[in-house]
Amino acid sequence: MKKNYSKEELLKHAEELGVEFIHLQFTDIMGVMKNVSITIEELGKALDNEIMFDGSSIDGFVRIEESDMYLRPDLSTFTVFPWSGQVKEARLVCDVYRPDGTPFDGCPRNALKKVLKEAEEMGYIMNVGPECEFFLFNTNEKGEPTLETHDNAGYFDLAPIDLGGNARIDMVATLKQMGFNIEASHHEVAQGQHEIDFQYADALKTADNIMTFKMAVRIIAQRHGLHATFMPKPKFGINGSGMHVNMSLATLEGKNAFYDENDPMKLSETAYYYLAGVLKHAKSFAAITNPTINSYKRLVPGYEAPVLIAWSASNRSPLIRIPAKRGNSTRVELRNPDPSANPYLALAAVLKAGLDGIKNKLTPPPAVNSNVYHMSEEEMKEKGIVGLPGNLYEAVQELEKDEVVKEALGKHISNKFVDAALYEWKEYSKYVTQWELDRYLRKF
Amino acid sequence: MDNYRIVVADSGSTSRKQICNILAQKGYKIYEATDGSGVLRIARKILPHLVLIDVNIWGINAYELGRIIEGDGISTVVFITGNPDKSFYEILGNMSIFAYITKPVNAIHLHQIIEFALANLKKITMLEAKVKKLEKTLSARKKVDKAKGILMKKMNLSEEEAYQYLRKKSMDECTTIEKIAENII
Repeated sequence: MKKNYSKEELLKHAEELGVEFIHLQFTDIMGVMKNVSITIEELGKALDNEIMFDGSSIDGFVRIEESDMYLRPDLSTFTVFPWSGQVKEARLVCDVYRPDGTPFDGCPRNALKKVLKEAEEMGYIMNVGPECEFFLFNTNEKGEPTLETHDNAGYFDLAPIDLGGNARIDMVATLKQMGFNIEASHHEVAQGQHEIDFQYADALKTADNIMTFKMAVRIIAQRHGLHATFMPKPKFGINGSGMHVNMSLATLEGKNAFYDENDPMKLSETAYYYLAGVLKHAKSFAAITNPTINSYKRLVPGYEAPVLIAWSASNRSPLIRIPAKRGNSTRVELRNPDPSANPYLALAAVLKAGLDGIKNKLTPPPAVNSNVYHMSEEEMKEKGIVGLPGNLYEAVQELEKDEVVKEALGKHISNKFVDAALYEWKEYSKYVTQWELDRYLRKF
Repeated sequence: MDNYRIVVADSGSTSRKQICNILAQKGYKIYEATDGSGVLRIARKILPHLVLIDVNIWGINAYELGRIIEGDGISTVVFITGNPDKSFYEILGNMSIFAYITKPVNAIHLHQIIEFALANLKKITMLEAKVKKLEKTLSARKKVDKAKGILMKKMNLSEEEAYQYLRKKSMDECTTIEKIAENII
């Protein structure tokens, strides 16, 4: 699927396959996928970068500019949808450009490309392997999603068939048909929760893959009569869904830049600098890796999600974990991102933080080896360990203070992002929750 | 009657109950669904022989449901409609069985259509299995021919010698001639 097609080859290929509709896909600032759908007759025009759309739709909910924007397809992302049946449909992931031919700075994919270029100029390529968790729930008779995983049909003679598991197997098969290298997939701890991990690839491809993955998972879940949700914490009391990000830098020749066999932990200087940079800016980029109100309901103790900003090779609970593998597989695992994040912005912010560490040769704090959750307040103070922001409002305040992370997004996106997050927070603050009613209605 | 499993998918409880009662009395094993997603869940759970879907079912479009259920090989679909028009017939043309149930439901007609559908289903399943077997045999034979051609060219053998080579190799390695042919190609 990810071949290097020329324009003519792609046109021929699409016609041979009998593709009738092509969806030109891009992602908005909030991480929602948008489509401009065209017919096969218009594909030539699209490949000439001539398809336009109304730019305000990429700004999320804020309508300020009614400007025309152009879509520039990335030919290597041409993929046919395996579920399209008789009327074949395909997609192309696109970058958004202004009419004057410059990249639109409100396009998250362009933002990631910018930071990747910076890394390349420093001699590095970023590779990422995500571990994505999600829930599969039943819908009710009205088609609305519930939090239930069992049908109350009362048919006692039915053998226990794992609907969610079968759906997940179908998802893996479909993703493989679309060109994914799936590393693992399994049931997760919580009822109805699943995980699918895909193989390491360069950051841009991985971000595209994450968006594609979410789309495919939703569609296939629907084909199984289920609702897939990437909401970070749908149910209090059970594990939430995270999107752990395994990452490493490679030299331009493809050699892992994090490995050094002479170091006691076998990590290179670059790895330590990168780690230090990511830890330094973690509080600031939390707003991007955990962008919803609900994200912070997941970042609480007791459910394997990180709470404190610390790193460890042995421990499973800190913000950054160093998995055991070395050599070309040396990498660091960032554990706070959740699947509601915009993958382009999340990777741009984290990479920028890591590069900042390398540029300034930062030293990471000492690794933590005891269980971080079991530390007392004094111990934490002693070790200089601070926590992630406690809610979206705190996270946005931290983001606003950090010029490095804001630069990763660019001025346009960081302003729009902050506006959107603060609006979300304001709306949430007005709402009277069931928790408050349960607690105060009778008491006062 | 033989324990045929049938799912009745209709959002209208009166008509759904009516159909269920008629069919249950005839001895079929009946399961109910009230909306699109519910149909998909129960059909994937029990793999019924037939799924009857009302064209106005809530949730996922009834014809899309039909495509998913037949496309993924889950079951065979028979639509229930109050208004069979030209576009309906066009859609039917793409389904496994060209039969449908009309509303208001007539018990005798309903029974006839179900029996008709089940009988045809049996025939179609048998034919499909036969075709699959033939396709497999043909594809294997093509591969063997191709491999023979390669051997004849590369090793300067006659057709008979090439075939014997393949046959011996398959016996030595305890695998099919087709597999050996694939490796050679």
